[in-house]
Amino acid sequence: MSNVIINRVQEFLKRFPPFYFLDERSLTVVASAVEVRYHGRGEYLFRRGEPAQQFFFVLKEGQVHLLAQDGMSTKVAEVCDEGDVFGVLALLGKRPYILDALAIEDSLVYAVPVAVFEKILQENSRVALFFAAGFASGQLVVRKDLSQSQKARTAFQDISKDNGLMIFTGQSDWRFSKEVLTCPSGLAIQNAARLMAERGVGSIVVVNESHHPLGIITDKDLRNKVVAQGLSMATPVEKLMSSPVLTKSQDAGFSDLYLSMIKNRLHHLIITQDGTDSSPVCGILSDHDILLSQGNSPAVLIHALMNTWDIQEMAKIRDQAEKLLKYYLENEVSMDFVASVITEVNDTIIQRSVQLAVEKHAVGYSEFADLKFCFLSLGSEGREEQLLRTDLDNAIVYEDVADSDAEKAQAFMQLIGQEVIESLMACGFRACPAEMMANNPQWCQPVSAWKKYFSDWILSPNQKALLNATIFFDFRPVYGETSLATALSSHIYQEIADRSIFLNFLAKNALTNPPPLGFFKNFLVEKSGEQKDKFDIKLRAMMPLADIARLLVLSHRVVGINNTFKRFEKLAELEPNYVELMQESGKAYEILMRMRAIEGLNTQTDGRYIDPGSLGKLQRQLLKNAFAPIDELQKIVQVRYQLDFFKG
Amino acid sequence: MGLLDFLFPKRIHKADFVRHYEDAFSKPIPPLRKIPQLQFTVLDTETTGLDIRRDEILSFGAVKVKGYLIEVKDSIELYLDTEKFKKESVAVHQILNPSDTLSKLGFAEAFLAYIGTDILVGHHLGFDIQMLEKTLRPFGLAKILNPLLDTHGLAFRLEKGPFAQKIPMKPGEYALDEVCARYGIPLDDRHTAAGDAFLTAQLLMKLLKLAEQKGIADFRSLIR
Repeated sequence: MSNVIINRVQEFLKRFPPFYFLDERSLTVVASAVEVRYHGRGEYLFRRGEPAQQFFFVLKEGQVHLLAQDGMSTKVAEVCDEGDVFGVLALLGKRPYILDALAIEDSLVYAVPVAVFEKILQENSRVALFFAAGFASGQLVVRKDLSQSQKARTAFQDISKDNGLMIFTGQSDWRFSKEVLTCPSGLAIQNAARLMAERGVGSIVVVNESHHPLGIITDKDLRNKVVAQGLSMATPVEKLMSSPVLTKSQDAGFSDLYLSMIKNRLHHLIITQDGTDSSPVCGILSDHDILLSQGNSPAVLIHALMNTWDIQEMAKIRDQAEKLLKYYLENEVSMDFVASVITEVNDTIIQRSVQLAVEKHAVGYSEFADLKFCFLSLGSEGREEQLLRTDLDNAIVYEDVADSDAEKAQAFMQLIGQEVIESLMACGFRACPAEMMANNPQWCQPVSAWKKYFSDWILSPNQKALLNATIFFDFRPVYGETSLATALSSHIYQEIADRSIFLNFLAKNALTNPPPLGFFKNFLVEKSGEQKDKFDIKLRAMMPLADIARLLVLSHRVVGINNTFKRFEKLAELEPNYVELMQESGKAYEILMRMRAIEGLNTQTDGRYIDPGSLGKLQRQLLKNAFAPIDELQKIVQVRYQLDFFKG
Repeated sequence: MGLLDFLFPKRIHKADFVRHYEDAFSKPIPPLRKIPQLQFTVLDTETTGLDIRRDEILSFGAVKVKGYLIEVKDSIELYLDTEKFKKESVAVHQILNPSDTLSKLGFAEAFLAYIGTDILVGHHLGFDIQMLEKTLRPFGLAKILNPLLDTHGLAFRLEKGPFAQKIPMKPGEYALDEVCARYGIPLDDRHTAAGDAFLTAQLLMKLLKLAEQKGIADFRSLIR
């Protein structure tokens, strides 16, 4: 690190509060963690409703306006000048921003990571006091002299009631449905379910004769308690309902409501007139409403994607999708749904990128305006399993052209490939280290060349060919002429039918992954290198399952199911002898995907390496249980493909 | 000493770290890579003087810029052992006896490891590059292979257009002090290598934003 630069940042910071309360040593810690960011005029540093970044900001140069929404119009709530600190409120309240921060001039901003500063807050009571005093008075910006904060307060007074320390948006923004489906006690559950079906809602509130809430029945109760346990349809609702219910008044702050739901792990909260359960029901709030009120539903995201051609904007939406992902994972939303949503978002970004690329580069290649091509996702993205923006694996296949045109057609397609990859990287995806990407000439080929690749891999299955097979056999058309992809699929099955020994090679390969557990049922961790003592969840647990699912699906000639857990579902149908094992394997894969994604989100990595020591006891057990089917599947493959006698 | 030694100078052994550095360039930066995705190392050197043959590097400072962001913790400053410590340079740079100095070997290793395959940026970069190449030659480095971007040239190109004649230019009009002043970057303590690199990095971010507005959006159009 450069002392000169740290010193320079430090010299600047210490002229302003709260930094001038810090001693030299703490200040050095803060200064060395600073990110210097540059924002051009007209750019937003953050927008209303966006989740708080892990930084707060000190304006070094330029000018930033904090804008508040006032009915239909926008007004300037605060003007930030050199040395002003902003973006703190959201951070301490751990909620999204309530204001827009707009760079009015080209601005240089020091972003201070909250983690570093939190430590100092703990150590230095004066700094903590300074912040606390500022926020109690509803101050937006931390300033050099306190009389100015007085001014800030008056300027902001008329809208401040909407901007208390609430978790998400202002109170006026939260919506709950006022039309609550209710039923009297004594009603048969079948009738209650019929009412729910008619109204198309997921819950019904059981009330007494004065309309006071007694309990609630949700879709989940019907599934878990009625169908699963074979309860009679005539059972009265009060036998089934969750009771007592948690009630709140409609005057309650949003943060209060939301926190109650989180703390009690509730999906629904009942609103009554006075907030107790002995007053009439007047509304219901579901966690779904909360997602919607944050503009964070998948539908909202996809819609936003479909309405922009701006890469930067798409990148932001993809970031937002990640927050949604985190919410889903924490709330145990089904992996099938989560994976579909994220795949849909990714696919939309890819489709838009390809369209943009074609538009940009078609100029020089007008003769190929009608050239049919298809953009394929490979590997985990091809299997619709890519939750995090880990390595890109993709390719382009295009129709065969006359020899005289071949070179130029390929040049055109490669340009498209390059452009798309760059756009995707701008959206936060990482490049594939092995360069299995559409910008690699080798993987941007006409359909005849692709058929030859596949034939070669199937006819001479050496180590490299098998590796390629594990990635390329999971291709999925994302944009363009899908018939090209279909042609490749049927070609593959044709070739395999002629040479079924290939499957034995593939089977052998599927068993080469190292085992997850040692003799004493301990996690086998990396012995050396950067990931020493960490568990490789991808190589040791996920790949064996994905490899076997692929193998078995190929052996049954199944087309169009790419997802590993859906493949296992299908295999449960196809292999009646192993229904349970296949179902378990699918579940295991879902659990592994979830664990990897959570690890990745928490550590900002691809989540591949997990520290077993950091897992709770329950998680460790869950993970170990997920390994059980691997062993069994491997034994089946071993026998079925006679690998004991087969020297691959 | 053989008779023909002057014709066949002894081949310099190429150090492993140099080989390692050169190998990394087998993959070029894709021409369509967008400016926010490009990684820059913005650098400056302070030397004993302006004579490339006789003078030497005293100190080197650099920061990384990617996506309009500089992380202070990724900055670097290196000081070299040198016999030539001229009085004049001390006056300008105020480097007297920095505590941790490196040998040329130590410097060469640290320098190449730091820059990797980044785009190198500097104000009047040509001089720094020549000095650096000279310093690294004993370890077998023939040439610095990174793409180069001179903020001086970039500012000129953005202000005067791509076809402007470079000749009729007021002396000093594009000196770092001048350009920074014009782009509103305060000049706190100039004349330390790291300080100048930090300053140049801020200038670079302003110029890149301007370049993007003018349609210079990817690697190919930025590094011509």
